[in-house]
Amino acid sequence: MGAKLDAVLAKGLPERDKKNANRVNLWALGWMFSLMGNAILTKVYDQGISALWFAILAAHIVCGVMLVLSYRRFLSELDEMERKVQLEALALAVGFSILVFSTGGILDSVGILGAPDGAVMVAVMSLTYMAGLIVGRIRLA
Amino acid sequence: MKNRLKVLRAEHDLTQADLAAKLDVSRQTIIAVEKGKFDPSLSLAFKVSRLFEQPIEEIFQDDA
Repeated sequence: MGAKLDAVLAKGLPERDKKNANRVNLWALGWMFSLMGNAILTKVYDQGISALWFAILAAHIVCGVMLVLSYRRFLSELDEMERKVQLEALALAVGFSILVFSTGGILDSVGILGAPDGAVMVAVMSLTYMAGLIVGRIRLA
Repeated sequence: MKNRLKVLRAEHDLTQADLAAKLDVSRQTIIAVEKGKFDPSLSLAFKVSRLFEQPIEEIFQDDA
């Protein structure tokens, strides 16, 4: 059980990979906070386009681009087995999200369900990505 | 793919963590390679070969 848990938590990664992962996590946090900031500004305070809104939009784009670049660097320098796990989890997340959206579109066209929005897509992708990581790490442990 | 990594590691009195540090990979990778669950890349196989000063084919054998 201990070995499986170590595998799920990806313990024992080289220091370089831990630093790169921390960088990805920091940009992901910034990206998430900017998304939350926009939601609070527009939905709670009912504000439209303003200087603050532009600042949040700019922060969101910068954090998003840096998140993509730091994740690419993380993957390219990553321990080779963990890279395989990450890529398989990404494939699962992208494939499952496309399936959820296409199925949602079909159900929406006949009025059974509303089409899933962006928040659902982010949630589905995140959850399937995490599930893919856990399953992949346990399988190779 | 079968391999003699565990035997060679024991012969050189190395822990999995020691070997992982020498090869610049995670301990999980060493565990998976030793169990035959993960086939290493050619570059990692060459690193192992250089470290133990043995030809690759004496460390890794194809199942077929």
